[in-house]
Amino acid sequence: MAISVAHHAQVAYKPQTRTARRWRPSGEALLFLLFVGPNLFFFAVFSFWPIIYSAWLSFHRWDMIAPIKQYVGLDQYRYLLHDDVFHKVLANTAVYTVGAVGGTLILGLLVALLLNQPLRGRDGARAVIFAPSLLSGAAISVVWIYMFDPRFGIIARLLDLVHLSSPSWLTDPAWAMPAVLIVSIWKDLGFATVIFLAGLQAIPRDLYEAAKVDGAGVLWRFRSVTLPMLSPIVFFLGVTTILNTFQSFDIIQVMTKGGPVDATNTLIYYVYQQGFIAFNAGRSSAASLTLFVLMLGITLLQVRYAERRVHYG
Amino acid sequence: MGMQTNRRTLLKGAAAAATVALTKRSPVFAAPAVVQSTGSTVEITYWGSWAGDLGKAEQEVVKRFNESQQDVKVDYQYQGSYEETAQKLTAALAARQTPDVSALSDVWWFKFYLNQVLAPLNDFIAADKLDTSDYVDSLWNEGVRKDVQYWIPFARSTPLFYYNKDAFREAGLEEGPPKTWSEFAKVAPELVKKEGDKVTRTAFTHATGAGYVAWLFQGVDWAFGGAYSDPDFKILINEPKSVAAGEFYRKSVQDGWANITQDPDNGPDSDFFNGLTASTMASTGGLVTILANAKFDVGTHFLLEEETFGCCTGGAGLSVLATSPKEKQEAAFKYIAFATSPEITTFWSQNTGYMPVRKSAIDSKEMQDFFAKNPNYKTAVDQLPKTRQQDSARVWIPNGDQIIGKGLEQILVNNQDPQTAFDNVARTLTEEAQPVIEALKAIGG
Amino acid sequence: MADLVAARPAGGGRGIPWGRIAGYAAMVLAVIVVGTPLFWMLSGSLKTTQEVFSYPPTWFPSHPRWENYVDAWHAAPFGRFYINSLIIMTVGTAIKMVNAVCTAYALVFLRFPAKNLIFIIILAGLMVPEQVTILPNYITLSDVFGQSWINTYQGIILPGAAIAFGTFLLRQTFLGLPREVIEAARLDGCNHLRLLWDMVIPMARSSVITVMLLVAVAKWNEYLWPLIITTTEEMRPLTVGLTYLVNRESNTQWGQVMAATVFVIVPLLVVFAFAQRLIIEGVTAGATKG
Repeated sequence: MAISVAHHAQVAYKPQTRTARRWRPSGEALLFLLFVGPNLFFFAVFSFWPIIYSAWLSFHRWDMIAPIKQYVGLDQYRYLLHDDVFHKVLANTAVYTVGAVGGTLILGLLVALLLNQPLRGRDGARAVIFAPSLLSGAAISVVWIYMFDPRFGIIARLLDLVHLSSPSWLTDPAWAMPAVLIVSIWKDLGFATVIFLAGLQAIPRDLYEAAKVDGAGVLWRFRSVTLPMLSPIVFFLGVTTILNTFQSFDIIQVMTKGGPVDATNTLIYYVYQQGFIAFNAGRSSAASLTLFVLMLGITLLQVRYAERRVHYG
Repeated sequence: MGMQTNRRTLLKGAAAAATVALTKRSPVFAAPAVVQSTGSTVEITYWGSWAGDLGKAEQEVVKRFNESQQDVKVDYQYQGSYEETAQKLTAALAARQTPDVSALSDVWWFKFYLNQVLAPLNDFIAADKLDTSDYVDSLWNEGVRKDVQYWIPFARSTPLFYYNKDAFREAGLEEGPPKTWSEFAKVAPELVKKEGDKVTRTAFTHATGAGYVAWLFQGVDWAFGGAYSDPDFKILINEPKSVAAGEFYRKSVQDGWANITQDPDNGPDSDFFNGLTASTMASTGGLVTILANAKFDVGTHFLLEEETFGCCTGGAGLSVLATSPKEKQEAAFKYIAFATSPEITTFWSQNTGYMPVRKSAIDSKEMQDFFAKNPNYKTAVDQLPKTRQQDSARVWIPNGDQIIGKGLEQILVNNQDPQTAFDNVARTLTEEAQPVIEALKAIGG
Repeated sequence: MADLVAARPAGGGRGIPWGRIAGYAAMVLAVIVVGTPLFWMLSGSLKTTQEVFSYPPTWFPSHPRWENYVDAWHAAPFGRFYINSLIIMTVGTAIKMVNAVCTAYALVFLRFPAKNLIFIIILAGLMVPEQVTILPNYITLSDVFGQSWINTYQGIILPGAAIAFGTFLLRQTFLGLPREVIEAARLDGCNHLRLLWDMVIPMARSSVITVMLLVAVAKWNEYLWPLIITTTEEMRPLTVGLTYLVNRESNTQWGQVMAATVFVIVPLLVVFAFAQRLIIEGVTAGATKG
């Protein structure tokens, strides 16, 4: 593989220097295909084919075993459109995404601002805060179940110290969503912090000096210098955190299985539940198409917005 | 998924004794371990859901089988939980690379039957002269469709009523719980313990949807004269008697003597053995863990009655895949017959806490000795003949367990009116049953 | 410096530096809040079941039960699981990295029609949920030119060989590299492979390390696909091994579960502890220079 790439690379080089602006089929194109081809190939086979297949399945009814897939037209989508559970799932997804992304970004920025101060031991603190992002969501959720236990858990103990009684985190519909949000934010916070910290450190000091000379206060400097200079970072983190959160599955699967009473049933969990518990491939596919389109739409919006607004220093 | 709880080696001593007894008494085990010719050996793959201590017991069963004869060699492979095993079997079917024998739980085997991928076992049973009347009837009959056997009981359990004898004694209930749920509701407030306003012990604890409350409620519903459905998927859960059972559940919480468990995953077992509730319903499989962890005198009792007695079966059985060639099917069946033989079911149940599936095993001396040492375990086995198979709505409608469980959560957690909750459940169940009914018609079964 | 929250440089020592004290307090609080679950896991891994289920909960195990680790280790072939996890992580990461670097390079430095469209197509790969791909991929792999790749390393690894996130991040970085230097090298007759290997990768070293770290971590933690595609325990990675202990059919021994969780996460924590500076700086540079 490497040898053939090298060969093509050499071939590719010469026409490159001669053709100035205009593209025409050349060794360079071949090299491009060689470089991009494997990635595209694997995507085509293992991601795009499944989503196309899934799109096709969403017009059928199939239990994933029967040899016959029955064509039902738009029935699956119609069902979702009128189903109370699915409406709740969409609302949960919105709450979970906004909560997790907002919480992660805001707290991440605050912690980054804090660790950007000349405090002794901040490297150690940064390491501890970053560590959870390395851990398996499934494994660490097991630890959290044990922490949330209102009878023997450490959180109940801490609340007890301030004379509060612990809510039934995982069995009370009102508290299950906050519980999974806490775990989700806890896990992603470190990554956001480190990235924000990097962004903060890259901001030229003289911008602040200039703002100071202009008589800008702390908050004003934050708004006029820090935030605009951080906008590429916010964009990067925004895109990746949103996509991650939409597909965040392990924590919910291990901690609540979407319950109680669907309180933590999000789109991705619904896709799994309909597919692999109810074996309703058509409905699961229709829901996953919804999820796919939603993510694509949001990302495209972000990209467009970013083109206009993000400040590339 | 009848089985939500934990199990572990029952009294190791007793198990070891049983092992010795087995190797000495049964001619099957006396067979020479030397493999003579490999040419004629049929190798089969067996997918199961037991890991850890249960996995070790399962491996031991397989090892004994492999050593008992040379015709068949079984390779046991753990595939994850019951759900995960079913998921993988589905994928394996799509890819046409199936195992020869698989463990399937009460809620999964029917789905594979519907798709006609489970081998009918009657011919093998006849050829093997298997004494089917020796199997516990309620367990055996669950795997029969139109007189054909597809699923043979192996790792089975039932719900059981557990109570804290000390607490009951303090409340003046020397004899344990009263006969009926209504009577229990009357005495239950006596079992509640408070410190100031704070309840430190409830009289009873319910499971959650994820902890299979729909499995535990099945017996209560029957006791009240209701049912989830009839065998032909006519949904009955919103009929008056089931609603009365639901109302009993709702009131239990609203009247302040019952609560819902804080341990969504392991069910109410841990509430019980930690003394946070004076009684609960949980799987027979939880007995060992409960006995090992409780710091009080544990009592077990049949499920309570109301109009009548009701208790369902649960757990997993074994099926042979129709996709395997005939000779492998035959070999797979030989293994199943061995694994559910009186000797092995004795070994298996003493080591895991699952119910013995053979009547002769229950009557055997080893088992009787074992009961003498474990009277609580005897309660579970004594209740076994009174159990019956679950209603089709929970086990045969896809996701039926969770649909009913969610309705019960609405009642228990959200204080929803049982009629409303069960009407919703009934509507969903009816909808989801439709494809199953059609599929059944298509195969004429 | 964004000197916003605290830490006015203590010019001239006027009184108590409240800002700085508040800063330290906040930092300590953040560390405690984030670190407690990790501590709780370690402490739980040494407790007996009775102690796990006791109130009030104890911060430190009263009699550390080290056997939890031994028992957990013997509950499943964890040695084998470690080897499998290592193989899957190493090979999987290598393939993904080659794909990410090559694709990003091509998208930035090679001319081709509709490059942006190709970029968007690759980005769309980020949006296909894993749950959707399982069944089709299982079927695909069951017959690869007449061979079954189920329960093989290639079966575990190849469906994850493509990479969108890393391509995205590296493309951003490459776009930010000084064009003049690269143009100059090209005019010197440097071919693309040399350019990539000798100039672009070293210049974007931090971003490459970042992507490698993120990919490796994700590989190590992968669960659903390895669970489905492996049918025998010789092929399973650590994350799947964990289910041998938390399977609801068996008695959940919390201490052992915590100990097994430690097995899964300790390698990452150790690597992180040793390479902390490199990794954090890599992540840092990767995001900002991009």
